[in-house]
Amino acid sequence: MKQTFAQAISATIREEMRRDDKIIVYGEDVAEMGGIFTATRGILDEFGPKRCISTPISEGAIVGSALGAAVTGLRPVVELMYSDFQLVAFNELFHSLGKWKFMHGEDYKVPVVVRCAGGYSFGAGPEHSNTFECLFTHAPGITIITPSNVYDAKGLLRSAIRSDSPVLFYEHKQLYKTKMDVPEEEYCIPIGKADIKREGKDVTIIAVGLMVSKALEAAEKLAAEGISCEVLDPRTIIPVDKEAMFESITKTHRCVIVEESNKTAGLGAEWAAMIQEEIFDELDAPIRRVASLDIPLPYNLGLEAECVPNPDKIIAAVKSLF
Amino acid sequence: MSISKEKSIEMYKELLAVRMAEEKLVEIYALGKVPGHIHSGVGEEAAYVAPLMTKNEGDYAKFTHRVIAATHVMGITFNEMFAEILGKDTGTSHGRGGVNHVAHLKNGIVGVAGSLGVDTEVAVGAGVSCKYLENGKIVYCFNGDGTHSRGNVHEAMNLASMWKLPVLFVCDDNQYAISANHANTICTPNPAFDRAAGYAMPARLVEGDDPVAVYEATEELTDYIREGNGPAVLEVKTYRWRGHFEGDQCAYRDAAVTEEMKKRDCIANLEKYLLDNGIMNTEDMELLKNEIAVELDQAVEYAENSPEPALDSVYLNVY
Repeated sequence: MKQTFAQAISATIREEMRRDDKIIVYGEDVAEMGGIFTATRGILDEFGPKRCISTPISEGAIVGSALGAAVTGLRPVVELMYSDFQLVAFNELFHSLGKWKFMHGEDYKVPVVVRCAGGYSFGAGPEHSNTFECLFTHAPGITIITPSNVYDAKGLLRSAIRSDSPVLFYEHKQLYKTKMDVPEEEYCIPIGKADIKREGKDVTIIAVGLMVSKALEAAEKLAAEGISCEVLDPRTIIPVDKEAMFESITKTHRCVIVEESNKTAGLGAEWAAMIQEEIFDELDAPIRRVASLDIPLPYNLGLEAECVPNPDKIIAAVKSLF
Repeated sequence: MSISKEKSIEMYKELLAVRMAEEKLVEIYALGKVPGHIHSGVGEEAAYVAPLMTKNEGDYAKFTHRVIAATHVMGITFNEMFAEILGKDTGTSHGRGGVNHVAHLKNGIVGVAGSLGVDTEVAVGAGVSCKYLENGKIVYCFNGDGTHSRGNVHEAMNLASMWKLPVLFVCDDNQYAISANHANTICTPNPAFDRAAGYAMPARLVEGDDPVAVYEATEELTDYIREGNGPAVLEVKTYRWRGHFEGDQCAYRDAAVTEEMKKRDCIANLEKYLLDNGIMNTEDMELLKNEIAVELDQAVEYAENSPEPALDSVYLNVY
């Protein structure tokens, strides 16, 4: 069965809603419009306005009320549209969602999924293109998931909806229209499990979200030049699958980290530090980071492309290790 | 509508318990026993206790950082309350949340956000589930006047009204947001009541030194909410007798005014009401005060003798 990423998101939510009537969906433009990226299309039609509601532009109230609904028995799956708008609800996301159980005790379960669309998407500009996973790595209690393809999105979203902990679920805007063969039957992908998207022996490329496809493209070209790249997709940012990273690097002894966030204090900074702290002796070369430039993402397409990682930048980083 | 004898006695007991607990917190803070801050709610008790006298079994409440002892009305014991405030393992969240987060879900407390205003949204979320589950419960959402300047309160109240959620928004207007008198910071004299029309909610304004009036106004509004009409606003005018937190010398306000305002005492007024109406006598009241004093002393002792959380439990309840 072929599905686009957007169809897969909607289908997974609907399957879960059929299974569990405590799941409700609300957020910006999720109902009649089906989401601006069509990822909630069909939910209103199937479940009606009691379980699928478009909200006012109130990100704080969306997240805060989802938290309150969750501790009192529901399982909200809410949408904030662009991940950039998470900052409007930063207090709720950072201070409240992940800390509620810690602050109030074990009876306070917070089964909330906050979905949003992240990443650059051709001229969306400085406030509609950000990649913010790294911001929330400082918010304990929150699970952060960034799928890189349709299959993973389905399995990870299902696990997210079934989790009793709050999950931030990042959907890359450029992935929504991508298509992939997926199983008819329902499946879960465990949270916290990385996936090797391509096996190799000379260098490990850790890539997140859309960057997985860029890394795979780079790996293909590098293979032609005799460099064998292993592409590792963490899939879950928090908790991150350290063991999978260490295992791969113990085999390849080299590592490049590719992410779409700004380079400074990004995921690459954290993971590079973690890797050298724990398996320094396995490294034959410095860890390289390929990330976005430390500037606001420009509107102009040429400038935008200049800012973000691409296969050529990844190839250059890989070659610098030899 | 008027309050029954039984209800007025129950209210007096709770009001007294909350007052004496708030005073006890001030006392033990001065003795250096409290690791965090105490935002004393002495003088403002009726804004919390009287509305909660209208609650039904299973209803929810969202408290604030002030008048923490009012969680007792929801069933939090003084032992677990004081243990939490002392940061002990026997506290409601095992010393993790502390003074701002005294709560148990089984008692209907949805939690409190130290970053004020967020929890108004959380309370509204509890309203979402009450309505969705059709369980007949309602939510009492307490805020101070200061918090009404936070944008998320506006977001939450708009949402509650749009979705006709069963939430009573109670504003304890104690006049001060830390040092800022709201006459200088808020564009309208009654931060919740005046704005209620903008949220399309009915509202009542009452004096916080008159617990019976607060109760009766609340009952009108909770009847309206329980009939499925959506949320409502109750604003209770009080005065913060003490500083924002213990140690605040209140240099920003006239002590003579404070002394004058302290004469408007909800406890004294309720005692007068009970005596005038022959509902209780002074002997009963003294007996009650002695009982509560003993209970509070025992709670402090329990908290002090309770174990610290084990250091190897540091990751408890993070995920």
